[in-house]
Amino acid sequence: MSEAQHRDNQLAGSTAGALAEIARRQGAVIDAALVPPWYWWAVAAAMIVIGAVADYRHPVVLAIGITAAVAVIAVLTVMMIAGSYRGVRVRSSALLGGYGAGLIVGFVWLVVGLTLGCGFGLRAIGAPAPATIATAAGGVALVIGGPVLMGRLRRLMMARRAGDVPAGTAR
Amino acid sequence: MTTPRFDELIHAPTRLSIVSLLAASDWAEFRFIRDELELSDSALSKQLSALEAAGYVEIRKAFAGKRPRTSARLTRAGHRAFEQHVAALREIVARSSPQLADFGAGPSPGIG
Repeated sequence: MSEAQHRDNQLAGSTAGALAEIARRQGAVIDAALVPPWYWWAVAAAMIVIGAVADYRHPVVLAIGITAAVAVIAVLTVMMIAGSYRGVRVRSSALLGGYGAGLIVGFVWLVVGLTLGCGFGLRAIGAPAPATIATAAGGVALVIGGPVLMGRLRRLMMARRAGDVPAGTAR
Repeated sequence: MTTPRFDELIHAPTRLSIVSLLAASDWAEFRFIRDELELSDSALSKQLSALEAAGYVEIRKAFAGKRPRTSARLTRAGHRAFEQHVAALREIVARSSPQLADFGAGPSPGIG
């Protein structure tokens, strides 16, 4: 190998190292912005509380239980969206795009649909504690599907990060 | 189509890491950048000041309760300069060693 070729290879190697560093740092931001697994467990637990108090049918328990559970879900969700607990907010508009937003909305509708469908179906056949069972089913969907959704969104955002794929072409 | 332009200011290792973080963010808090890059407060301040002076970074200071909170974001010029720099790096790699052209460009960041 000539000296010039050796120098070119060294330059290519150091430049590739810089590109790898860029990928690593952008991956760190994307990872920090993803919803952690405990969020899905916490929201699932709050959902089950709502189902359980709905079945219990005591007005005071119902009022306190639903208020507390909704507050937990709302606070956690706002924290996740705002990124306030991580100290960084990912460029979701550029990195997620319409496809990523559609995945999130689709997942929410899937969980809501499953929960309501289960609840009304169980109630129609006279099953005991239909709301508790339905919210538990929704909770299981959250705990299993949430991390799967996050994995899909991570791959999408890594594919759309600066310079990789022209915005709007990545799936 | 991004025009490749190698940017000496961005390419310095610490600044490249900072700009890479900010390029994927709407904003990032000072403490997040500092902890991710394992820098001292003064070292990070110095690098952010250099990027701010070039018009690449905007620094915002706010209060969360009584605690001051500093955050940074890339300006439009910063995003453009970063994308041009990345394009220039890719061009160098592709020209010098085609088999390395995909290095660092794929979805896995687990290298480097």
